[in-house]
Amino acid sequence: MTQVSIRNIGKKLFIWIVLIIFAIWTVFPLIWAVATSFKTMTESYTLSLIPYLQFKPSWYAWNEIWGRMFGRVSKSLINSIVVAGLSSLFVLALGCLAGYALSRFVFEKWKNKDIATWILSLRMFPPVVVLIPIFLMMRTLYLLDTWRAIILVHMLYNLPLAVWLMMDFFNEIPEDIEESALIDGCSRFGAFVRISIPLSSSGLVAVYILSFIFSWSEFLFAVSLSYNKAITFPAMIAGALSVKGLDFARVSALTLLAITPPMILAVLMSKYLIRGLTFGAVKG
Amino acid sequence: MRRTVYSVKFLGKWFFILPAIIFFIGMVVFPMIWSLSLSFYNWKAATGGAKVFIGLKNFYTILAKDVRFWGDLRFTLFYVGMTVLIELLLGLGLASLLNKKIPFRNFFRVIYLLPMTAPPIAVAFLWRMFLQPDVGIINQLLHKISLPAIKWTTDVSVAPWALVIVDIWEWTPFMFLGLLAALQSLPQEIYDAAAVDGASPLQAFIYVTIPMVMPIIVTLVLLRAIDAFKLFELVFGITGGGPGGSTESLSYYIYTSGLSYFDIGYSCALSWVFLIIVLFIAIFVLRLLRKEV
Repeated sequence: MTQVSIRNIGKKLFIWIVLIIFAIWTVFPLIWAVATSFKTMTESYTLSLIPYLQFKPSWYAWNEIWGRMFGRVSKSLINSIVVAGLSSLFVLALGCLAGYALSRFVFEKWKNKDIATWILSLRMFPPVVVLIPIFLMMRTLYLLDTWRAIILVHMLYNLPLAVWLMMDFFNEIPEDIEESALIDGCSRFGAFVRISIPLSSSGLVAVYILSFIFSWSEFLFAVSLSYNKAITFPAMIAGALSVKGLDFARVSALTLLAITPPMILAVLMSKYLIRGLTFGAVKG
Repeated sequence: MRRTVYSVKFLGKWFFILPAIIFFIGMVVFPMIWSLSLSFYNWKAATGGAKVFIGLKNFYTILAKDVRFWGDLRFTLFYVGMTVLIELLLGLGLASLLNKKIPFRNFFRVIYLLPMTAPPIAVAFLWRMFLQPDVGIINQLLHKISLPAIKWTTDVSVAPWALVIVDIWEWTPFMFLGLLAALQSLPQEIYDAAAVDGASPLQAFIYVTIPMVMPIIVTLVLLRAIDAFKLFELVFGITGGGPGGSTESLSYYIYTSGLSYFDIGYSCALSWVFLIIVLFIAIFVLRLLRKEV
């Protein structure tokens, strides 16, 4: 064996070791939570990871959730799904239109770039600065603790991102295709519906899923605007766990339930996630 | 340049852009103006007190007398600075170590993406469990290797670091994946050219790689910093601002003063001060980083 190939094997091994150590550091807390969620309350404080070998698995925590807590858990899960599903749909519609306008049309007085920057800045400032006035606004409109209030706020949270990403996706579609459709007698709106939208369908799916994930995870507004009827899952956990925070088995089960749906969605679209999180700046 | 078919005169363009703009006016511009007008009042809604116009007194109190505000600002800046710096260094280190053909690329990418897709409040409760001083696993593990237990959430000098650690766990992969994508988009030829010119790998990294990925570094740092400023969930879930207010972020302060104590006028003034601070820092950081590019 030559020296070069030994060095190559060494390099490969090194890459593997770094990758695996980083991966363990990243997933270990989640694996620990999975193990803990299958322990009894007393066993949940022990250092044990492998079921049957180190501890006897138990359905205690999951029985709690599907039993005594079922009403609250199912209600908040439904609220979260409806709010995230609908708000992402509206975000997609508005974001698609605005993104297309910024990508294709020319705005004069207030230039395209200015509009785009303004919209981006809305995502950048800390959301807490509009919390108090929006709370008062929703109270005045009798919308506190309703789906509508949380949907509106989550739209505010996700729309800037959607506009930017859709603008980015539309920019990638060559204008010639639409142009030839226009020459063939298609209306501008027709060209948008029949050509641009189908061509950017993967982008549309990515934007929908991204805003679903963010809406599902959003906490500040959810906990401020909903308390009972419309409470979302993250806000519900916060209420349940601030009282019973030391029952590690139940903490694990509830957080896993909150983590799983966005995680599955993220795995499905892992290619777009970094691009989405960086507003299209990095195409990972 | 846009082609003539997308002419300026086409009025239908307003149909596309106006819905979003109207939405933003209703949900951001109007609330912000309302909040500005409320910040000139003394309005403690909890006690049913009346709205009294007091001019700029709220702002004066915040800037000159509010010890809690300055403490929270200091903690928030510490948190932003530390998390962004450490995540950038770790991310850059990992990305340059692993800037090769990665085996099972998609598998590892999915693994690293997991923490940042989890809802922050769930991350907070997860880590509160690990950091718990008496029965949390971290202290139990420390005990196993006979190290003293650390009062993660009850010691004034440790608690801020506990939150920083959680943030590092959650967001280092973001820096890493973003920087890796940037590094791998660079053509191999530039390294060959640097090698021909006699540059060592380290010199090539400092004088060739870093300048070329600088725009991406700037973007990632800004995005992380802006996100870190919003710190709320980790405080809410792990420390509740304690011990002794040492981990209270500005977001958490505004939330409690507005929605727990219903001191509406004062919390609106706080919101505006916070917004202006973030704006200033964003502009300042942009200038600073632009010069280096």
